[in-house]
Amino acid sequence: MSVVAKIALEGASKEFTGRGETVLALQPTTIEIAREQFVALVGPSGCGKSTVLNMIAGLQAPTAGRVVYDGTPVSGPNRQVGYMTQKDTLLPWRSVADNIGLALELKIRTVSANNRARRVAEMIELVGLTGFERHYPGELSGGMRKRVALARSLIYEPETLLMDEPFAALDAQLRLVMHDELLRLTRLRRMTVVFVTHDLGEAITLADRVIVFTGRPGRIKALREIPLAHPRDAFRVRFSEAFAHLHEELWNELKDEVAKGTDR
Amino acid sequence: MSVAQAASPAGRGAAGRAADERFILLGRIVLMMALLLGWELAGRFVDPTWISMPSLIAVRLIRWAGDDLAVHAATTVAEMAMGLSIGVPAGVLAGILLGRSPLLATLLRPIIVGFYSVPLVTLAPLLILWFGLDMEPKIVLVAVIVFFLIFFNTFSGVQAIDRDLIATLALMGASRREEFQKLILPAASAWILSGLKIALPYALIAATVGEMIAARRGLGFLVTRSASQIDMTGLYAALIVLMLIGVAIGAGANALEAHILRWRASGR
Repeated sequence: MSVVAKIALEGASKEFTGRGETVLALQPTTIEIAREQFVALVGPSGCGKSTVLNMIAGLQAPTAGRVVYDGTPVSGPNRQVGYMTQKDTLLPWRSVADNIGLALELKIRTVSANNRARRVAEMIELVGLTGFERHYPGELSGGMRKRVALARSLIYEPETLLMDEPFAALDAQLRLVMHDELLRLTRLRRMTVVFVTHDLGEAITLADRVIVFTGRPGRIKALREIPLAHPRDAFRVRFSEAFAHLHEELWNELKDEVAKGTDR
Repeated sequence: MSVAQAASPAGRGAAGRAADERFILLGRIVLMMALLLGWELAGRFVDPTWISMPSLIAVRLIRWAGDDLAVHAATTVAEMAMGLSIGVPAGVLAGILLGRSPLLATLLRPIIVGFYSVPLVTLAPLLILWFGLDMEPKIVLVAVIVFFLIFFNTFSGVQAIDRDLIATLALMGASRREEFQKLILPAASAWILSGLKIALPYALIAATVGEMIAARRGLGFLVTRSASQIDMTGLYAALIVLMLIGVAIGAGANALEAHILRWRASGR
């Protein structure tokens, strides 16, 4: 682990209060994530994985403990992160190109219109949406919208990318394509990534480290480094023996939680 | 029956649809002519006292057109336009402000609901006492009615904005101003527009009702003046001008909506 973690949860927990009752979503949790590390959070529904992302993004404050980013406690929206939520939060009245370029229009970045157009065009090519620049989100398939959302998060090169089941709605083939793209891009741009998923295979394919959560109230059940070498081929890595062993090992940790999780 | 149904909707292509459209247009013209003809005949052969006749109305309209019809029509339209130009921005602003501030919305709710529960056209006599006989009380009445309609729609629109969108923009580093420009206003625009579509006919109602109560000019004034003289032809003539203005406003609103919401139409 590096001297100063990029992102650290220090005994951070989260309770939600609604209709007079308080529900503990996340037990006090400590996680350290190093710069340029790709960490996957795996666990059953309602285990507080998304809460972890929201706390890192500064959208939710921990009930106890704290979240530290670059050595500074997070309070309020964390502008160092790009957040790709489960829903693709595209602006329906903007075309594909205008959605992707959105972050570059903001004053804190001051990108010239020419420069912006060039970077948007590059991004569109990168995520394979050439020819759809002028389409509106309502005219795209779910997979294409996800790619727009990914391009929009990547274009302003946030140093950290938070992703909440970004590919859950995609079909299996497209998901593999997106995995490959994500691996390539995040390594190219030297990003730190926190990736939430249900899918253990997806987690092992992408991550340097997988953290398995228990069912609600969530806490860390297992933590496993993924020693698969980079660059990884998202299409082939899952057929390696090492992958199978990791999957077996982590599945043993996860399966009881999944069974418990379905009772809820 | 079944054969005609099977043949009509699909499979006949653009040529068939164009023919259908021509048929419908022709049908509408024929129906309208029949209605006018029936009216004319009823007036001629039964009794024109209460129903007048299209020919008399046409003659009257031509006479008025050479006289002061333009002044009356312009007065009504100007009252609407000025009322709208106050009521729409005020309603949008208040809707966004209260939509973004739950505390303020909760505090002000009883006042707003109470105020809106008064049938607003009944404010006309009060406004006339306050502002006199000219255009001002009508402008204020239009503005008040339009304000509420736009306000409620904008408010709902702002509250319906996906919180994830707001969070997404905040994380990208948008300032309050940019959040407003790039998210709140465009997201609420569909709601503002539907409010506007409701508000436009109400603006015409408010302006004419105001004129009918006390005025020196305006189409509402023409209506009451004709009615007080039991001049049915003049009454119908005024109503026809109002109808034409109403139709024009509706068409304008539809065109505006189609333009602003083109992202929505192209989807499906």
